[in-house]
Amino acid sequence: MNEQETPLSGEESMRLINEKIGKAKKSYVTKGIASIVWGILIIVCSMLTWAQIQFKFELGFDVWLLLFVALIPQIFFSVKEKKQKSFVAHDEVTMQYLWTTFGICIFILSYYSNKFHDDNNITSLYMMLYGIPTFITGGIFKFKPMILGGLICWGLSVGAMFTDLKIDMLFMAASGLFAWLLPGIILWNRYKKRQECNV
Amino acid sequence: MQHEEFSPQESLKVIQNMLAKSREDFSHNDIYFLVWGWITLIACTGQFVLKHIVKYEQHYQVWWLVVVGVAFTIYYSTRVEKKRGVKTYVSESMKYLWIGMGISYFVLSMIFSKMGYENNVFPFYIMLYGLGTFVSGCFLQFKPLVAGGIMAWALAIGAAFVEYDYQMLFAAVAILVSYIIPAYMLRNKVRASNN
Repeated sequence: MNEQETPLSGEESMRLINEKIGKAKKSYVTKGIASIVWGILIIVCSMLTWAQIQFKFELGFDVWLLLFVALIPQIFFSVKEKKQKSFVAHDEVTMQYLWTTFGICIFILSYYSNKFHDDNNITSLYMMLYGIPTFITGGIFKFKPMILGGLICWGLSVGAMFTDLKIDMLFMAASGLFAWLLPGIILWNRYKKRQECNV
Repeated sequence: MQHEEFSPQESLKVIQNMLAKSREDFSHNDIYFLVWGWITLIACTGQFVLKHIVKYEQHYQVWWLVVVGVAFTIYYSTRVEKKRGVKTYVSESMKYLWIGMGISYFVLSMIFSKMGYENNVFPFYIMLYGLGTFVSGCFLQFKPLVAGGIMAWALAIGAAFVEYDYQMLFAAVAILVSYIIPAYMLRNKVRASNN
């Protein structure tokens, strides 16, 4: 419900019509690039952590800090798109809220992880959290690979409770693959096909 | 299937109707916040009283109250879904949000059943209260829910600094500010606009 129930102007109404009819899914997120970047990063970080445990070596830095690398292109493309667009569609705003919330919760969970020093169980909690925005995004866009990706994250989250940290990292990599990388590739292929049709 | 052509005026009317429907949907959602809010508040404070004051060993049994919430949610959502004709973008988004939250609460319960419940459980639940409420508030553009979500996150961080018993009270306050108070504000707003 809008807090201020003001009547729509003609221009605003046309924007709404365009939004509903067009649903132009050309954003950084819906092209699938963000999904692909996050998916690859989660897989790389998980596999590096797994390799450190398996082959008993240390990289000398926390590999999970690489996740911040993903923020750079995300912020860059968001700012670039904002400049190019005259208005932002409601579904894009919805996604921004959802994924920002996810970011806040990941931050809180990292804080708990440092405070409680429970690395083994915290991986389950991370995967539980990965499932939430993935499932909701899939549901809102009626995009089954992401709905399935969310459900797989939750399944892996429960499974990780019964395994040690080394195996948890393989589960984490699988969650990155199913929740983000594969859906991202599907989105990217669809986007390319649409572009070819438009040529 | 016949394809009707709409005039600009008719298109505008359709859009206005859709927006009105979203507002109506919003008014239906407050019941979930109230039922789950009160159940959780009673369970949190009840557990605190049983554990900290009465010293009852099986203090966690109070959480069986959740079954009432689950039964109500299944019954009410099925009834409302049957009656509901047009599905709006907002109502669809809310549906997936709360299905996702429901599954997450279930998964979290399973994780803690393995980890042990006397092990910093409440901060994680409070964080999820904040998540669901904040996103709902943003979807519905209702500021008290957004504020409630932010306050819940602050309490989630604060709860990590206190003992398990007092974490229950943090959870009770979180549910009060993020579910119950915004839901009553919403109900009053809807009543006022209907009048």
